[in-house]
Amino acid sequence: MLHHYQNGCWTDNKPAVPPRGGPDGRGPIPPQPLATPGGSVDRYPAPRHGVGRRQNEPAAVLRGCFRGIVVTNQPLCREHYRLTLHVAAFPPSDPGQFIQILCPLAPGAADPPNAVDDGALQAKQWRLGSRPPRFTDPFLTADRPYLRRPYSIAGRRDTSTAAKAAGPRAELDIMYRVIGRATVQLEKLTPGDEVSLLGPLGHGFIRSDHLRRALLIGGGVGVPPILYLAERLASWGIAAVAFIGVQRADLLPLTLIADHPPATDHPIERPCLMEFARHGISSILTTDDGSLGIPGRVTTALRTYLLAHRQFDASSGVPELFCCGPTAMMRAVSQVAAEFSLPCQAALEQPMACGMGTCQSCVMKYRPPGALDWVYKLTCTDGPVFHTADIIWS
Amino acid sequence: MPSVATEPAKVPAPAPDLSVTVGKMRLSNPVLTASGTCGYADEYADFTDLSRLGAFVTKAISKTPRKGNESPRVIETRAGMLNSIGLANIGLERFLKEKIPRLERMGVPVIVNIPGWTVRDYADVAERLDQAAPIVQGLELNVSCPNVQDGLSFGTDPRRLADLVATVRRRVRRCTLIVKLSPNVADITLTARAAVEAGADGLSLVNTFSAMVVDVETARPMLANGVGGLSGPAIKPIAVYLVHRVYSQVAAKHRVPLIGMGGIQCARDALEFILAGATAVAVGTALFIDPAIPGGIIDGLTQYLIRKGKNTVREIVGTLTMPETGRAGEPVAPP
Repeated sequence: MLHHYQNGCWTDNKPAVPPRGGPDGRGPIPPQPLATPGGSVDRYPAPRHGVGRRQNEPAAVLRGCFRGIVVTNQPLCREHYRLTLHVAAFPPSDPGQFIQILCPLAPGAADPPNAVDDGALQAKQWRLGSRPPRFTDPFLTADRPYLRRPYSIAGRRDTSTAAKAAGPRAELDIMYRVIGRATVQLEKLTPGDEVSLLGPLGHGFIRSDHLRRALLIGGGVGVPPILYLAERLASWGIAAVAFIGVQRADLLPLTLIADHPPATDHPIERPCLMEFARHGISSILTTDDGSLGIPGRVTTALRTYLLAHRQFDASSGVPELFCCGPTAMMRAVSQVAAEFSLPCQAALEQPMACGMGTCQSCVMKYRPPGALDWVYKLTCTDGPVFHTADIIWS
Repeated sequence: MPSVATEPAKVPAPAPDLSVTVGKMRLSNPVLTASGTCGYADEYADFTDLSRLGAFVTKAISKTPRKGNESPRVIETRAGMLNSIGLANIGLERFLKEKIPRLERMGVPVIVNIPGWTVRDYADVAERLDQAAPIVQGLELNVSCPNVQDGLSFGTDPRRLADLVATVRRRVRRCTLIVKLSPNVADITLTARAAVEAGADGLSLVNTFSAMVVDVETARPMLANGVGGLSGPAIKPIAVYLVHRVYSQVAAKHRVPLIGMGGIQCARDALEFILAGATAVAVGTALFIDPAIPGGIIDGLTQYLIRKGKNTVREIVGTLTMPETGRAGEPVAPP
């Protein structure tokens, strides 16, 4: 079943023409310069046909509204899924950036399209004289999502330019845990279904000139941007170790490699998780209940690891920390980073309505370096990635 | 798909005229943005072409910058959302310096929403904008904030509202003065009449409805501020009713245009407001989901007018026919 989002409304009619797009009807409308042209100059150079952007070259900011076609919607573990979407001409993206997905609605429960047609559409509407709605009718009881939902990009594959005729296409991965009214809708998606998405939104992780070694810390639903970052770091040849913390063994959305079980005692990195091992990155796994890997918090393992590697760090360069996960975890990581005087970036999560910087709901308290007073920053457009030293944790 | 060749040759009808007049503003079409849902315009530049709008309504601009409320500021509800942003904005002077040049380039008339906590707050900001920024053609007074002097809202007391509008009126020479009415009153026609008689050139209605969502686990409100304003499709039928009531009781008589808003998401929604008496409409919360909605509504209005054989959108404003059992603008008793 296909659901199409057209001109602000859901319909089950396949659109004759793409809702909007570039000259080929595929991409976003041609972008106009943003308020701050260039944005941050030290983002990860985006992969543009293998040619990276130089350090101080302003990033071509490109975002838009796209149609994503579901390729797969695969269960990963209990409650967790990976959704892969095919998006034509999706702009370059960075690890840490996110997309806003409009979770599909049941057809018929949708608003009528802008074409105020008196024919077919009215037939669908509940009319006077027909049976009055009952409280059990799905359109009254369905607690369906109204706003879009933000999801970090968990991975991306671009088709080679060989298939030029079809235009550039990207496959985007997101990962979600079924916890609310929006993710319940996502769970129902099957290959071929269509979703509307905005992106790529926000600013991703920043690459400093000094980066030689990265420690990636992902907790629970914070794993996706860490995965995307691992992929990017590997392409840059930067060594990394992944620290993954989940509540229980059955909530691990990653694949264990049978030959290399994760360390269960001391935080010793092993190629135990497929998604990281394929990029040559070893992992340390913790579970809150001790059902897999090291029992306890991921931040405890991180701290033990850093204590043990102090000597090593002196010779091979200061490791930089990159984390995403529950707020309590990121706050603990930022404390560890401060204790060891290590640079640390966190991809924050805040409830947000628009993701484009207008609703002003996803505020976080930010203290600029050297400043006395804090200001509110928007997680969606100023972030979601911030240096943890600048974050005031509430 | 019908074959074009076999169709009898038709003379293409001229496109219907969507232009409307609100006070001194001549708008190319009746579709506006609602304050607080579209920032200062640059945020949506990548997603849609806002230059198609009839007018652009900014976020509330206060005399001094405001940080706004604690998080969480927004909670989704069924068919809508609650917000309690706390009028976070960059303040008047930064707005004039940083945002006005960009708005000038957009080439669409700009209406600035003005909050205030004293009569002087409103009057000072209104006067400054009136004199300093030619692209600003309209001023929309947000009278839903509490007056710091007595804690009462300007928007709920007709006498206080009349004082405010009359004072601002005297300080504004060029701009069209619009009052955004609060729906959180027993009888909206009282505040509407007070605003119009004190010199408002137009009314916009409705602002959000005061509302609350409770977290049953913690037995606390979901919003950090406790209460917020409900917007989205959930409020649309009430907003249409209030627009019709103000139109039939106050606006039509005084020939004052109304800007209708509340849950508009598509052309059909916009038409409900226009038929109920709104000269223009504003899209608000729906922009968070799709900033391109106003363009779709403009297209939908054009198609509707062609199908109904109308030459202008102006001729359908307020043409709703009420059932004979009810007087215009009065609720019809249920059978």
